[in-house]
Amino acid sequence: MSDAMQEIRASFFVECEELLESLQDGLQAMQDGATDTETVNIVFRAVHSIKGGAGAFGLDQLVMFAHSFETVMDELRAGRITADDNLLALFFQCGDLLLDLVRAARDDTELSEDQLAPVLKQLGEAVDLEPEDEEVDPAEFTPMALSLDLPGLDDMADLAEVGPPATPRYHIRFSPQHDLYTSGNEPLFLLRALRDFGQAQITCVVGDVPLIDKYDQAQNLLTWNIELESDVGEDMIREVFDFVDGLCKLSIEPMPQTGTDVLAPTLPDLDPPSAEDALPPLDTAPVDPAEPDPPAPEAETTEPAPPSKPASATTESGKSGGNSTAPKPTVRVDLERIDRLVNLVGELVINQSMLSQSVALSGLSGNSQIAAGLDEFQQLTRDIQDSVMMIRAQPVKSLFQRMARIVRESASDVGKTVRLRTEGESTEIDKTVIERLADPLTHMIRNAVDHGLESTEKRLEAGKPAEGRVNLTASHRSGRVVIEVSDDGGGINRPKVKSIAEEKGLIPPDQTMSDSDIDNLLFMPGFSTASEISNLSGRGVGMDVVKNAISSLGGRITIVSDPGKGTTFSISLPLTLAVLDGMVVRVGTETLVVPLSAISETLSLRAGDSRTLGPNTQVVPVRDSFVPLIDLGTELGYIAPRESYEGAIVLLISQENGDRAAMVVDAIEDQRQVVIKGLQDSYGHVPGVAAATILGDGQIALILDPIDLLTNASGRSRTETAPSAEPETAEVHP
Amino acid sequence: MALRDQLRILVVDDMSTSRGLITQALETIGIRNITTASDGQGALKSIKASPVHIVVSDYNMPGMDGLALLHALRQGPKTKGVGFLLITGRADRAIIEHGRKLGMNNYLKKPFEAADLKSAIEAMVGRL
Repeated sequence: MSDAMQEIRASFFVECEELLESLQDGLQAMQDGATDTETVNIVFRAVHSIKGGAGAFGLDQLVMFAHSFETVMDELRAGRITADDNLLALFFQCGDLLLDLVRAARDDTELSEDQLAPVLKQLGEAVDLEPEDEEVDPAEFTPMALSLDLPGLDDMADLAEVGPPATPRYHIRFSPQHDLYTSGNEPLFLLRALRDFGQAQITCVVGDVPLIDKYDQAQNLLTWNIELESDVGEDMIREVFDFVDGLCKLSIEPMPQTGTDVLAPTLPDLDPPSAEDALPPLDTAPVDPAEPDPPAPEAETTEPAPPSKPASATTESGKSGGNSTAPKPTVRVDLERIDRLVNLVGELVINQSMLSQSVALSGLSGNSQIAAGLDEFQQLTRDIQDSVMMIRAQPVKSLFQRMARIVRESASDVGKTVRLRTEGESTEIDKTVIERLADPLTHMIRNAVDHGLESTEKRLEAGKPAEGRVNLTASHRSGRVVIEVSDDGGGINRPKVKSIAEEKGLIPPDQTMSDSDIDNLLFMPGFSTASEISNLSGRGVGMDVVKNAISSLGGRITIVSDPGKGTTFSISLPLTLAVLDGMVVRVGTETLVVPLSAISETLSLRAGDSRTLGPNTQVVPVRDSFVPLIDLGTELGYIAPRESYEGAIVLLISQENGDRAAMVVDAIEDQRQVVIKGLQDSYGHVPGVAAATILGDGQIALILDPIDLLTNASGRSRTETAPSAEPETAEVHP
Repeated sequence: MALRDQLRILVVDDMSTSRGLITQALETIGIRNITTASDGQGALKSIKASPVHIVVSDYNMPGMDGLALLHALRQGPKTKGVGFLLITGRADRAIIEHGRKLGMNNYLKKPFEAADLKSAIEAMVGRL
């Protein structure tokens, strides 16, 4: 195969994944009750296009399966069969198999006949008869010779004379209000900006300006008319006036084209040919730019600016095509190149902070040119970084679609009826995070179906609908992405969980535990809930593995369970694995970084603020409540606990579940963006430490995981109460 | 100058794989002037900006399908004479008949080789 063909083949598989995604969307819409032809058409087209491409590359198994699928879809499209639940379930299964087939073909393999046979049989049964191939014999069609054959080429000259379409022209009327001048804006700059877009004819209407003795300087008297010829588009023109939005009267109207438009095909509304051809109805807008309104008459003085967008703008967006929203243009880029860019930006950030630091040390004054330039540099670096990170971000949709399949498969394995509802599919998160989330999430979804939801009988007994619900949602919450898996099952059986943990020696017998402590036992290594190991979740992976996978992504997982009503697992993840906003603090002789996202405020303690509670727990009042005090230096074993906490600087750490703690540090040095350098590969997981970074002076600093630190700290102080004489030295990290 | 050097062809398909395949096949048979569009509206726009002799279009496309594009082309005073080759996965009688009525010059069933495309075009314009 030629290189060009190889490339097309590779892009075919990428395109297949996109088609399969829209297929899933279509099926989901059908399951949610959509019956319109366009939805069915979307599914049909996806299968059909995959078949077409597969044929070109000789992927016979894929063609054969897609053909069977397509045949049934076609029957549905023609209205000869209806999409009942059974058929939809079959379609979902076909969609899954189609994905498997595409991936197999990509890897130059095929699926076994056993995998396909049952589904193919069902497909065969779904339609009464293999429909008679109604294809035309090629002999029946006589090709029609082209009437323009060679003369047509002579015409070319004429046609070419038409030239490119004329540049769009706009009539802009700009009438500043008095406030525009007083707020420090200068119309001249705006006019110059417009002139940069292309040919502009600018006239100022001065007719309203009175003689000097009647002149009122608080009144707006000037209006500019601009005729602009430019192809930057109306949005760009509007953007020029963004800063004076509300401070002026503005109208932007496209002007009629003056160029020749002879070639424009006139498209009358088409009658849909005939019903049996099943052509989708066409609501095609004309292709040539809509006839714009004539420019606003010059004479009128106070013509209110049109509402946000003039009519022509709506035609603009409607033009791009009937019922499908035109996809944004995209470029496919090798992931390696992006990662290289991410690394380089990381280096740039470090470099920039080193530079800032050395400039600061050189004793230049803050308003020197270098310092100002450096500020700008810092801002630019940050913008570049954000933009680069955005390239790596992907919507979680593909991940969620995989989970839909897991739900279907595991529900049928355990004989439950389950419906998955997803929300926030467009939430974007780093590609690596998405990839590494697949396994833990799969496990959680399986758990929810297998353990979370009760059996159908139990559900009916409890007065719940027979169909169980699993919800999968993603959302942005304070700079992190939160993914929740919830079910409407029976909730965690706490007495059972506790007794299992006691049996396994994970906790001492008869220990008093809060509900949430019991729930968290699920995450303990060695805890396996399944009393009878079922086919699904008993795959040797416990929730502890899930938890580790999540924390290796810099994430946290929490459980909320409501007996009888269900359980919700929340995973909170950083947006990116490459950088974070951190507070640089000093503890003893060490410099550490605390992620800003964990800090809700910083305070300095006054005399008598800290109070002792129990043998070695201190608390400090923060507004209306008491918050436990953790001395970071002691906790990490850097320094001995101090006598008094008067004047101590504390970072108030907030956990997702609302728990707070006051973390004592010696000094806050800086607040900055740091590049995360993983420690996992070299050191494994170190409790309380998330990663490391390189500071501006070249020094290496650990990035703390304060939540992990606090969880461990408070856990230890409860279970192995250290003697008060020598308080926390026993808690030094290994 | 051979005909194939002068012929201008517009390829219309919503799937980039198919656009690539058709373009590749056209290049193989020596066509030099090839433009592409990903939907009917884009095709009409493109043909307005740079006219062509032949439109090679897929049948199954969202929004405006291949035959609707053909219909639109036949309505335009300057585009009504353009050659039209329909690429289709299935040569259903209904589709082909409808195409014939609208003035389709020829059709080609998928999958096809460059040689098939060549004969389909030659049936319209003579030896390339």
